[in-house]
Amino acid sequence: MAPLLKVDDLATYFYTQGGVVKAVDGISYEVARGETIALMGESGCGKTISALSILRLLPASQVKIVAGQVLFDGVDLLKASKKEMRKVRGGNISMIFQEPMTSLNPVLTIGRQISEVLELHQNMKRRETVQEVIRLLNLVGIPQAERRMRDYPHHFSGGMRQRVMIAIAISCRPKLIIADEPTTAVDVTIQAQLLELLRGITRELNTSLILITHNLGIVARYAQRIYVMYAGRIVEHGPAQDVYRYPGHPYTAGLLASVPRLDEPRKTRLTPVEGQPPDPLYPPPGCPFQPRCTYGVPQCQRSKGDFVEVTSGHYSSCCLAQNGVTPWEKT
Amino acid sequence: MHLVPGGPWDRDKQLAPQVVENLNHKYGLDKPFVVQFKDFLWNTVHGNLGVSYSYQDRGVTNILLEGLPKTATLGIIAFILAILIGIPLGMVAALKQNSAVDYASVLFSTIFASIPGFVLGILLMIVFSVELHWLPTGGWGGIKQIIMPAFALAAMSAAYIARITRASMLEVMHQDYIRTARAKGLSERVILFRHALRNALIPVTTVAGPELAFLVSGSFIIENLFSIPGIGRLFVQGIFARDYGLVMGAILFYALAVALVNLIVDTLYAVVDPRIRYE
Amino acid sequence: MAVVASTSQPHHTLWGDAFIRLRRNRLAIAGGIVILLIGLGAIFVPLISPYGYAKQDLDAILQGPSWGHPLGTDALGRDVLTRLFYGARISLAVGLFAQAIVLAIGLPVGAFSAWVGGRVDNIIMRLVDVMYAFPDILLIILLRAILGGTIYMMFLAIGLVAWVNVARLSRGQILSLKQQDFVTAARAMGASGRYITLRHLLPNSLGPIIVAVTFNVPRAIFAEAALSYIGIGINPPTPSWGNMIRDGYDVIFAAPYLMIFPAIAIGILMLAFTFLGDGLRDALDPRLRR
Repeated sequence: MAPLLKVDDLATYFYTQGGVVKAVDGISYEVARGETIALMGESGCGKTISALSILRLLPASQVKIVAGQVLFDGVDLLKASKKEMRKVRGGNISMIFQEPMTSLNPVLTIGRQISEVLELHQNMKRRETVQEVIRLLNLVGIPQAERRMRDYPHHFSGGMRQRVMIAIAISCRPKLIIADEPTTAVDVTIQAQLLELLRGITRELNTSLILITHNLGIVARYAQRIYVMYAGRIVEHGPAQDVYRYPGHPYTAGLLASVPRLDEPRKTRLTPVEGQPPDPLYPPPGCPFQPRCTYGVPQCQRSKGDFVEVTSGHYSSCCLAQNGVTPWEKT
Repeated sequence: MHLVPGGPWDRDKQLAPQVVENLNHKYGLDKPFVVQFKDFLWNTVHGNLGVSYSYQDRGVTNILLEGLPKTATLGIIAFILAILIGIPLGMVAALKQNSAVDYASVLFSTIFASIPGFVLGILLMIVFSVELHWLPTGGWGGIKQIIMPAFALAAMSAAYIARITRASMLEVMHQDYIRTARAKGLSERVILFRHALRNALIPVTTVAGPELAFLVSGSFIIENLFSIPGIGRLFVQGIFARDYGLVMGAILFYALAVALVNLIVDTLYAVVDPRIRYE
Repeated sequence: MAVVASTSQPHHTLWGDAFIRLRRNRLAIAGGIVILLIGLGAIFVPLISPYGYAKQDLDAILQGPSWGHPLGTDALGRDVLTRLFYGARISLAVGLFAQAIVLAIGLPVGAFSAWVGGRVDNIIMRLVDVMYAFPDILLIILLRAILGGTIYMMFLAIGLVAWVNVARLSRGQILSLKQQDFVTAARAMGASGRYITLRHLLPNSLGPIIVAVTFNVPRAIFAEAALSYIGIGINPPTPSWGNMIRDGYDVIFAAPYLMIFPAIAIGILMLAFTFLGDGLRDALDPRLRR
């Protein structure tokens, strides 16, 4: 069955005074109906930009999508008209942003901010939306919905605001939700609640979900497949469990090794991934991770990032993996 | 005011000392200063601003009340002009950033925000009254008399408001919640008028108060220039004639106007920005 | 082999950096040049001009611009150009010297208020707020009427009203300085922390004050012109742009230029200082340092 969303060789560049920054440099991923995938990587690796590119929400002046396709239900969104995009946004694909504190308009009630989506995409009249807003607020776990819908964002905590954002996102039963680091700006205890909420909802409505995060713990539990991004490119992808057990790329292995685990002795030192991400203006030749990689070989500098299947459905772009060598495996 | 040299009875011809003394006594000017001040406050609270020394047949309150409508009208019209010109100009400049319109409006704002209304008024007067004979040089009566002073008064405020609106609008359009609104699929028009505008106008409301106060106070120079019989002109005449009552009354009027305006603006502020309402 | 992105910049001092940025701002440079030219003209006019400011030539009254009188003559046959430059002396003197009083009162009051804190600070700031809210021209007129007629009293009148925004700024700076002291002490990093703070904080705090003073000048110039226009400023025959406008009004239909030239002069000088102020503000803004 054809995937719901297929991002194909997407490239988005920033044109700055210092030069061209290839924020997204030819990435491809796909999401099936009802599937949850995780897009994972460090800050600045381009995951947010790729998501914004799907909905074409980039600030117009210095950023351009220069190549690729974004096929949603067979239609290339990058070629769609502005009017068509407006229909897609909020109606078929909705997005949840990272910063609950600033993502809601401070001068409008939250009820209004939810109802306007309903009015727009479901053709409801203002009065009709009231019941639906209450239902949505109840669904996301906001108590006393009838009273609270007349409140303003500053009356809510960060976690509650994210729930409101989730309510807005699911209100028109979109086929795909993109959640950009939805829990990063929120307390740890609330993180779990929000993610459970999201999982419950996506299961119930059979919505696809792209979970963008840099938090490994989240990925394991909530995503079926993972795409690992580094410096604007995908370096590894596959089923979540597989990638965790048998990482096919030294970067992934490094990330996994740097996270403390409950089953290890407490005194084990954490091994962070050494070094810094490359300067976006002057990326290194070949494999982008190679300057930091402890397993580098000369071939890496000529690597074109082609994928090789490591295990079933699980691909890596590391040239060592291509040769069947995975020196980073844990014993 | 008593520190000013000269007294209210100075005229070209000196009055006889006896007459001066009598007049002083009649108006209580020979009482000790502190007593005079106390009397003044007492009378003021009771709405009695005393008697004008130059217009001896009318009370100060009456005189000022006659001038009030003119000054108020001028101030309000100038304020409305400033808003009607300033806000749209600022908005358009922000929305079409870095275009010719933006550049022109920024230049316009900077220039007109620095040149006092006084200077502009003179230029307008020369062009439209003296050279073109389209408008009268002053007086009070209808649209023709009010149009030049109103524009002269409004220009500085309009430019300032335009600048603030533009800056505010630019900042608002880059906020996260505007991106959220776009992600919902709302049209640019809806985003502008429902989401952006109210937020952008909040700083403008903050300056509206001082601007109106400025218009009220700065108007006296324009009133002088265009011979408008308002409070400003009375104020100036009062100083010149050492008419204490008139001057103090006028200052009181101005102070009250400023306080009132600030109060209104503070209330307006709460209406526009729900974050500062008291529960 | 780790590749470290190198983004080192040439190191500039705050002032050097600011100066370079200021130079690039053409409006500010233009403003500065205009001020310089007017200033030089004002200083040297007694030497250059063949006419005094009071020299009447009753055979040549109300003449338009001509070779002998580039800007014409007024109702008493006096040369307008000369009087304009004498007026510039007044305007510049008032504009600049009033700032001396503004600084003399504002800096210490603000600093004192911040240093002492508590109720004294509250009271002083209340007073500042009240003065700030009230239209300054009116207060200046009042003070002028009280203080009397000389030009020095004019400096005082203006200065006594305009000091409030400098006071606010200096208070703000001392407040942040106070905080810095405590933090440094708490960190127990020793004297070096404190000296560095002072070395960075003080130049930063001077910046906004310089900008505020530059913006105060056109207001002072305007105040003087306004006062002279309504008759309680500079007295004739000494020319001030304000009283020249006033005289010009009487003959407005016969000789409109008598009003226009001083009015334009006021506008240009105020504009020049405003451009300069804008430029200084942008140049000294630490957030814009690259």
